[in-house]
Amino acid sequence: MLCQNCNQKEATTHIKRVVNGEAEEHHLCSECAKKLGYDHFLDDFSLSIPNFFSSFFHDTMPALKGAGAEHCGTCGSSFEDIVRSGMVGCADCYDKFFDRLLPSIQRIHGRARHAGKTPHYTVEPDEKGADKVAEAPKAQTAEQQIAALEAEMQKAIESQNFEQAAVLRDKIKELKGDDRK
Amino acid sequence: MKWYENNAEHADIVLSTRVRLARNLKDYPFPSRLNEAGKNKVNAVVRDALLTGKRAKTFDYVEMRTLSHTQCVSLAEKHLISPEFASDSEGRALILSKDEDVSIMLCEEDHVRVQVIYPGLSLEAAYETANELDEALSRKVEIAFDPRLGYLTQCPTNLGTGLRASVMLHLPALSRSGAMQRLANTVAKLGLILRGAYGEGSKPVGDIYQLSNQVTLGISEQAAIKNLESIANQIIAQEKSAREALLKDDVFIDRIWRAWGILQSAHMLSCAEFMELGSLVRIGAAEGVLDIPVQTLTRLLVETQPATLNCAQGRSCTPAERDVLRARAVKEALR
Repeated sequence: MLCQNCNQKEATTHIKRVVNGEAEEHHLCSECAKKLGYDHFLDDFSLSIPNFFSSFFHDTMPALKGAGAEHCGTCGSSFEDIVRSGMVGCADCYDKFFDRLLPSIQRIHGRARHAGKTPHYTVEPDEKGADKVAEAPKAQTAEQQIAALEAEMQKAIESQNFEQAAVLRDKIKELKGDDRK
Repeated sequence: MKWYENNAEHADIVLSTRVRLARNLKDYPFPSRLNEAGKNKVNAVVRDALLTGKRAKTFDYVEMRTLSHTQCVSLAEKHLISPEFASDSEGRALILSKDEDVSIMLCEEDHVRVQVIYPGLSLEAAYETANELDEALSRKVEIAFDPRLGYLTQCPTNLGTGLRASVMLHLPALSRSGAMQRLANTVAKLGLILRGAYGEGSKPVGDIYQLSNQVTLGISEQAAIKNLESIANQIIAQEKSAREALLKDDVFIDRIWRAWGILQSAHMLSCAEFMELGSLVRIGAAEGVLDIPVQTLTRLLVETQPATLNCAQGRSCTPAERDVLRARAVKEALR
């Protein structure tokens, strides 16, 4: 049988591996096997991304030993689960374990403050019933709403749509005013 | 029209532009903490939020488990899904536009991965399209977001904008000049990654490279896109001047014609051989040495990948059979 990689030399190495529960088989010549990293059978075959990033978390581990019993109330992950898998469990984990995640995040990103856009969740009135519309704003805090409106206003200004910007400015004023009461 | 069939700006050097946004629904754990039923629920929520009105007609919703493994790999070869997404279909779904320029992976690493792929260099247009879909989704579904960390993602590397933009570049002249390593080191300092798009990391095949942004937190979408675009333009300019020098060399012109000769007459072509000779023919086409559209080479690059050839045949072929099919497809396209 010819090597499945180069299709030229006789395959001498037979590799079986299970990826996500599915068995894969490969027949390779010794050269290709080496080239593709199948010559170190004691190592993990592929340095997967989660493993790689879990090493980021591991660096912050020593100080955290003994805190293992704490779990995220939403998805049930402990901080150790996150470290082990290199993956955060849910949005609330970021809140729950913020202080412990921050050093890792800063190691990846340098400074840790979002500078991009903000989502604004508003169920479109023409498509859903009026009850849904009334309920939607509650899902956001006033602060988030203001941030969203400000972003929208900025956009309106950039596209020289000043009438819309004025409407948005009034809305923001109103929200800020409500806060002070 | 599909991205690899279309002509576009800077197509002589830039094969395609891709923009990807990572998003998660606020009310569901991230995919690694979801079972199949949970993933199916997430998929349905996103499908119902996005596929309304006009989009219901221009997009298809595909449950990945309904596709064969070969079909999945073929989608990855066309860069419509990630290889990782192709490797496991449980609880995963794909929203794909009919002309295959927008693909939305559901329950890959994140709940939603919106991807737009356009021919040539068109970062702003690709981002705009991705952003429209993101806006449509976030109006109807609450997205996981934190004012400090931005869009919350399963892997902290994507926090912030969740935006990954990339351009695929054909750089035969720069890679022959031995400048690639230095170039990769330089762009790394600017927060970008330049690496081979095909083949193993250390030995790229076909002189095709991918330039993408690395930083997602602390930078706005517009700044990230502009930064990438300006570096891409500088690399394009460098490649152009390197090409000028290269094309004065008769030995190189000879290699282009020889590659053209082999591609036109070979009975069997392995993927690696096609990539290598195709690169020479591509630069010949781009620089007017050969009278063929560059786009033909981009189309062949996609259509002659192993799983895509299998798909076109409707069955799994042996490597030798594929080499014959590949040679035939190339011969026909270049005639």
